[in-house]
Amino acid sequence: MAATEGDQFLKQATGPKTRGLLRVIILVLIAGAAVSSRLFSVIRFESIIHEFDPWFNFRATKYLVANGFYDFWDWFDDRTWHPLGRVTGGTLYPGLMVTSGVIYHFLRFLTLPVDIRNICVLLAPAFSGLTAFATYLLTNEMVSSPSAGLLAAAFMGITPGYISRSVAGSYDNEAIAIFLLVFTFFLWIKAVKLGSMFWGALTALFYGYMVSAWGGYVFITNLLPLHAFVLICMGRYSPRLYVSYTSWYALGTLASMQIPFVGFLPIRSSEHMSALGVFGLIQLVAFVEFVRAQLPSKQFQTLLRALVVLIFVVAVGGLVLLTVGGVIAPWTGRFYSLWDTGYAKIHIPIIASVSEHQPTAWPAFFFDLNLMIFLFPAGVYMCFRTLTDEQVFIVIYSVLASYFAGVMVRLMLTLTPIVCVAAAMAFSQILDTYLDAKTPKVDAKTAENGSSEPAKVAAAAVLSDGLRSTRNPLVGIYSYASRVTVVGFSAIYLLIFVLHCTWVTSNAYSSPSVVLASRLPDGSQHIIDDYREAYYWLRQNTPENAKIMSWWDYGYQIGGMADRPTLVDNNTWNNTHIATVGKAMSSKEEVSYPIMRQHEVDYVLVVFGGLLGYSGDDINKFLWMVRIAEGIWPEEVKERSFFTPRGEYRVDEGATDTMKNSLMYKMSYYNYNSLFPAGQAQDRVRNVRLPSEGPQLNVIDEAFTSENWIIRIYKVKDLDNFGRDHHSAVSFDKGHKKKRAAKRKGPKVLRVE
Amino acid sequence: MRWLFSFLALALFCVVNARSFTGSRLLVVLEEESEREKYGVFLGDLESRGFTITTLTPKSESLSLFKHGARAYDHLLLLPTKSKGLGPALTANLLLDFMKKEGNVLLALSAETGTPTAVQSLLLEVDIHIPSDRNALVVDHFNYDSTSAAEKHDVLLLPFPKPARSDVKDYFGGEGVIAVPRAVGQTLGNESPLLAPILKAPSTAYSYNPKDEADIVEEPFAVGQQLNLVSAMQSLNSARLTVLGSAEALQNAWFAEKATLAGKAVKTANRDFAAKLSSWAFKETGVLKVGKLTHYLNEGSSKKLNSSSALPENNPKIYRIKNDVAFQIEVSEYTSTHLTPFELPPNDILQLEFSMLSPFHRLNLSPISQTANSTIFGASFRTPDQHGIFNFAVKYNRPFLTGIEEKRQVTVRHFAHDEWPRSWQISAAWVWIAGIWVTVAGWVVFVGVWLYSAPVGAAVKGGKKTQ
Repeated sequence: MAATEGDQFLKQATGPKTRGLLRVIILVLIAGAAVSSRLFSVIRFESIIHEFDPWFNFRATKYLVANGFYDFWDWFDDRTWHPLGRVTGGTLYPGLMVTSGVIYHFLRFLTLPVDIRNICVLLAPAFSGLTAFATYLLTNEMVSSPSAGLLAAAFMGITPGYISRSVAGSYDNEAIAIFLLVFTFFLWIKAVKLGSMFWGALTALFYGYMVSAWGGYVFITNLLPLHAFVLICMGRYSPRLYVSYTSWYALGTLASMQIPFVGFLPIRSSEHMSALGVFGLIQLVAFVEFVRAQLPSKQFQTLLRALVVLIFVVAVGGLVLLTVGGVIAPWTGRFYSLWDTGYAKIHIPIIASVSEHQPTAWPAFFFDLNLMIFLFPAGVYMCFRTLTDEQVFIVIYSVLASYFAGVMVRLMLTLTPIVCVAAAMAFSQILDTYLDAKTPKVDAKTAENGSSEPAKVAAAAVLSDGLRSTRNPLVGIYSYASRVTVVGFSAIYLLIFVLHCTWVTSNAYSSPSVVLASRLPDGSQHIIDDYREAYYWLRQNTPENAKIMSWWDYGYQIGGMADRPTLVDNNTWNNTHIATVGKAMSSKEEVSYPIMRQHEVDYVLVVFGGLLGYSGDDINKFLWMVRIAEGIWPEEVKERSFFTPRGEYRVDEGATDTMKNSLMYKMSYYNYNSLFPAGQAQDRVRNVRLPSEGPQLNVIDEAFTSENWIIRIYKVKDLDNFGRDHHSAVSFDKGHKKKRAAKRKGPKVLRVE
Repeated sequence: MRWLFSFLALALFCVVNARSFTGSRLLVVLEEESEREKYGVFLGDLESRGFTITTLTPKSESLSLFKHGARAYDHLLLLPTKSKGLGPALTANLLLDFMKKEGNVLLALSAETGTPTAVQSLLLEVDIHIPSDRNALVVDHFNYDSTSAAEKHDVLLLPFPKPARSDVKDYFGGEGVIAVPRAVGQTLGNESPLLAPILKAPSTAYSYNPKDEADIVEEPFAVGQQLNLVSAMQSLNSARLTVLGSAEALQNAWFAEKATLAGKAVKTANRDFAAKLSSWAFKETGVLKVGKLTHYLNEGSSKKLNSSSALPENNPKIYRIKNDVAFQIEVSEYTSTHLTPFELPPNDILQLEFSMLSPFHRLNLSPISQTANSTIFGASFRTPDQHGIFNFAVKYNRPFLTGIEEKRQVTVRHFAHDEWPRSWQISAAWVWIAGIWVTVAGWVVFVGVWLYSAPVGAAVKGGKKTQ
């Protein structure tokens, strides 16, 4: 059976049914490849949630599964942002958790009791398979050649640019959002093509799902109107566009407003105004078209143009006025930093402090997209040649996404789908041209019978017969040698692409970052598990309500793994609160202690990489704490005083006094000397020798230090029982007896009851 | 079962027998066993009040304040010793540790033997100051006993102390005069709120060093009311350190002695004062105990507290903003043998704070009712329009009373999605609601009109044109 099928395939005499089956099989295989290449981390480490944000999503999912949907919707989380709490149900995108919850309950309904953790871990790979399928659908809408769709699906399945956010365990919003993004675009293209209200409504439905899943929905909110606007400007207004856009906008906006976190933003914030504006514009255009249909005249054209320009000016003017008047919220800082990469560094250090908000380095494009980054412009160029409505979309999308990907590392993710689509179009063009076994000349020998129909069509598309030189079929690939060379090299490139993707996935994107791996000299793997060691210590040795203060990076992990309340976490909604923690960390003990008392802090957690050479530690992040604190208390915390007069950031003997007295410095290096022979203490991250005298702590006690000293936990002391300040209490306990005060100068202070 | 019962009975017996709130094991440290006779009446009184007294000297091998890391005694009475040090078992650090574990210390000083260094540094730590000269004593040329100290004027005769302020309870009042012979005067630091004077020297007294005449002229250690004869420090965990300037005042010799004050014959009432002082020092008086602490939702069905049908859930973990909440706290005061309802001193109030970072409410708790041995204070209020993690906090720290520091954490959440008023309950929304229904009705009417008003001629030609 298989042999006959293969035979048929070779003869290219496959019927549509067989080809359909083959396509299904290929797509299933692509999905399988997509899923399996994301399982490196599970195989190497274990089925564990990765990084930071996924820990919150995981915790929220557990809450959803345990308490039901309505409790989740109204969830007031009293274990984060102590003592402010967080209206978590109203400040998150619930799509991810609800998706997992639905899958969980569905599997239980099928009597498959799967642990919610495994669902969360494997959700991203599962959705990457769907993304590959959605990319196939989207690409199929763009070109007639089906091979392009399959190539795009394969590209999407294994490209590192997408894998970076969707390996097993990376349980983040992007896990499902990219699928929704691509699928919404597919539906949109379909709607524009058909002018169908049904497809427009489906677009709105998936747009609503997207809104519930990821803040990046704004990308769709702006891209679709832009597409419609460009089409109108190109004079391609059609009732199809009108029907699809209005049905999408009306239903999609209503759907998006159902998410509490989004609420009234679609009609109040600037990011959403373009969609509203184009909605208004398209009504006007439709009206004008209608009027023109009634009274056709030449002057009407000018009237129309004038009207459009006038309306546009009035709309923009109104927008500006409303923004100034405060009715429409101005653009948020994150949005500004998209246009001016230096903006965040100056105005909102908290945004700039996140590494994924940094501008992208050039090698990252090649690293994440490999050969596709070269094929991408070719694909876009091909779109220009036959500029249909949907290909306009590709052009707009690629221009916008390329810009954004250059500005923020994180937005590489939105660029990846279009790169896959465009690259697949270009690549399939090459393959279709060169794999076509038929020689173009009619009287040439027809050695191989039959030709792939789509290839013919594609070739016809390439060879326009408008030019004189091409009128006679002189252009074509006649020799097998050139065919074999080009096809062979293409295949080699594809193989290298696969190798590269696998290598990147395996080496760069499969580390959970909760567990660190290192190689021993003999090549065997050594697991550094300090994070979990410390978090479980907290879980098992502290009261359930012990408040943990740490820098916000670790908030979600503490909440998820240690299950203890934290002061700040990765949901950086309250800058002042984060600055308070920054101030406590960067001030003297005497200043920090009242802050910690006021916030009822029981334990302080710091990350210290000096012993192991782990560079992502708190001393390296310390300047951000200082900067953020300085933003709120410029008089009390000054970044300058952490630098030596020569402008160096030092932790060794030459460190400034402010640095040496800061709580963070003291907590990091407390007792560190005792590991080394006298005077030999060495910080392996910053490669400096530390002062021979280590720092002294008065207001906190060391409670726990993990195996490799990565995590250090300190307990905040109570007020001294006898009303002394901590400094004198500690020195008394050490055996320094207080000296009787020498005869005081000045008048005696009398005691009054 | 029977052994359990007998054990319980025994425990109950012990509790009833001990007059102190915290325990009855009292360690008395003195120079040598024979000294015990001098303090016989005082120690006998203590024994009759239920204390089991262990008498040891600083040199004793078995002297240790701790056993297996826990306190070996509940109270410590440190009588003056001649030696300069108190040995390794009674260092200042150990004494502070003893107090950290809620042990009470009654420290009797004497101008004759001088103060051991351990005690000196202990006092320095808690900000009580004594003269640096070993022999400095308090002298008063007006309130002295002319029988025993006609020349030296160093035996003071004083009335019982009165509370310094009107909002402080009186635990040391009495009738008669107290003889304070050869006392070491103390001054108290100004910073610490934990210190309180019990017996102040009269305004005519001063600290005088018989060895160094010049000193008093140049700069006296302290004079007048700044000089305390008995002072107290109550640490944050309510462990008490009482400093008695004159150990001699506790001796049998001064318990009911005839004395002469300004020509009048009086009888000293030291026995009474010693009893009052020691019962305060060893927590027989001035001990507050918090009983039940409840807070509950005070609205809707749960408002009818006493109806058996709707008892509110006590001490819920979570409230909503703008909830009516009631708070009750039961406070008793221990007096010698039993718990009695705590009565606030006049002009004093017990307060409740409802706070997140800073208090959102600070309310006076008023006595609601009394049980046989406690007073129930209560307040009700409405939670603020601010969600977060709040604390019900009652802090009551007063001189001579053990502190109350109660904190209960509750969460105040936001309105849930179904707790807002429905749209039709808001009159301002009626316009919009009407708009919605008018649109719906208009649409239906339009569809009806459209369907039934197609032009007859056109319909015949072809329905496609209507598109």
